[in-house]
Amino acid sequence: MIEQILLDGILIGGIYAAFAVGFSLVFGVINVVNLAHGEFIMLGSFITYWLFQLYHVEPFLTIPVSFGILFVLGYYLQKYLINPIVDAELMTLLLTFGLMMVIANIALTVWTPDYRSVEAAYVGMNFPFMGLTVSFVRLVTFVAAIVIIVGLTMFLQKTDVGRAIRATAQNRERAILLGINSGRIYSLTFAIGAALAGVAGSLLSLNFVIFAAMGSEYLLFCFCITVLGGMGYIPGALLGGMLLGVINSVCTYYLTVGMMYVIVFIILFIILVVRPTGLFGKGRME
Amino acid sequence: MKQYSKILMQPRWLAVIAVALFLLVFPFGVTGYMLRFLTFVFMWVILAGSINMVTGYTGYLDFGHIVFFGIGAYVTGVLMVNFALPFFVSMFAGCLVALAVGLGVGVPSMRLRGAYFAIAMLAFAEAVKQIVLEAKSVTRGGLGLSLPVYADYYFFYYVMCLAVASTVVVTYWIERSEFGYALRAIRGSEVAAGVSGVNTLKYKLAAFGLSAFFAGMAGGIYAYWMTFIYPSDVFNIAMTVQMVVMMFLGGSGTLVGPIIGAFILTTISEILWARFIYLYMIILGIVVMVIVLVMPHGIVGLLKRVRGLKWLSSKPKK
Repeated sequence: MIEQILLDGILIGGIYAAFAVGFSLVFGVINVVNLAHGEFIMLGSFITYWLFQLYHVEPFLTIPVSFGILFVLGYYLQKYLINPIVDAELMTLLLTFGLMMVIANIALTVWTPDYRSVEAAYVGMNFPFMGLTVSFVRLVTFVAAIVIIVGLTMFLQKTDVGRAIRATAQNRERAILLGINSGRIYSLTFAIGAALAGVAGSLLSLNFVIFAAMGSEYLLFCFCITVLGGMGYIPGALLGGMLLGVINSVCTYYLTVGMMYVIVFIILFIILVVRPTGLFGKGRME
Repeated sequence: MKQYSKILMQPRWLAVIAVALFLLVFPFGVTGYMLRFLTFVFMWVILAGSINMVTGYTGYLDFGHIVFFGIGAYVTGVLMVNFALPFFVSMFAGCLVALAVGLGVGVPSMRLRGAYFAIAMLAFAEAVKQIVLEAKSVTRGGLGLSLPVYADYYFFYYVMCLAVASTVVVTYWIERSEFGYALRAIRGSEVAAGVSGVNTLKYKLAAFGLSAFFAGMAGGIYAYWMTFIYPSDVFNIAMTVQMVVMMFLGGSGTLVGPIIGAFILTTISEILWARFIYLYMIILGIVVMVIVLVMPHGIVGLLKRVRGLKWLSSKPKK
């Protein structure tokens, strides 16, 4: 039994990691805690849902659409709203907070608070593996999440834009002296963060029910994962996500869902206070 | 004596006296609805004023402030229901517990800065809410807690009014005292304040404890007034949101800012909340963004530019 619980936790952890990786990237590079990240995830889920529902588009094929739409949205939000005040930390926190309320409540108005799910033919399919039951969708989303995180790491390491992003994160003044347009890099980073949230949302819609008010719940998960893995440390998101997934499934099985939240929030609080750079000590801390 | 009468003749004190007299006689000759509405406004003035004590003066954004309101409400409720204690004793105990919890959680969490502090407090508030939900034997969990019914709305009006007065007096004292200077120094630059000999942890904690105390007071009165409380109501994150918006809308780190903000937002919410809750939340979100981008010092900051109204904020922000 415990093996099954651990396996479920790790597979779920892959999606959790996908939620948090964009959040962590934005924090690491721009030093903005994006409270609207959960809403970007929600938008991604709804894009997949509506494309599937209205035009019967295969859910996995909607991922590029979510990526594209949220990339553009993120780019312009950063360019026109966040960049003017990007250096005032409390102000950016409040601004993204306002953004979160606006997006969430517009979604509630347009789509009502109803619960929905994407009912593709293969949702709910299982196959046995070494005496355990593996959910097909969860396995595929897990693999997709790993691909995203590895892809992002490669992008940051190997491409010119990725190097420019890392240079700006490390030392903005020097990056500017080297001819990097830091404002554009910021917009680009935020756009990538939002786009990854959209992709995570698309993946999520195949695994869980979706609803317009779901953003704030997933925002809390993003906090937990990034704090566990280290704020701004990309590979940390993967390990943090799996850790949270395992904690989640173990607590839900042996205790109640309510106690799961108590434990998650207490862990979050303790890690923040005792080890704000994350379990691996690789996160950034002013 | 002569000096006192001279002080009292200054326009600002005359205004204070006029407002006090007005509030004292206000309940007579208005409808029950108006009375209830104004009591609500008072509650928000206390809440916005309490978060102002920590966030407005020290710059520590507390995203979990509602936890102290909830603690005040639940301690008052549990003491009145399970131990049959009188209201004022229970409420005062609620304030003290909120104060103690504030100091207890402040020692570790106030070592964090900025976003880290905000997130830590949010996590703490959610954890406490879940604990209250799970501790069914004491709090009845999600079923909620019914307090003894006391339906004298004049009573709640005057109690809330007194609580507002005490919040305002304490804030006024913060504005004028060395304590307030220390807090503002921390907001400006914590390192510089520390180097200048300010025991920053002590002052931050004191401000945090005070703000928790008043939020707990509002919670205690609310519990007895509503006669029924449940965790997702008194630990509702959306209420923290409202407090923060009220404070920034009016002007954070000022005496009258939270009062103005509470009046404006409670009025808007009264008109929109019941029928157009989402629209209200959208407006709230837009207000936040406009404040941040256009008027970071709030309404008081705008008014200060008008000559003759300088006294609204006795200390310039920078």
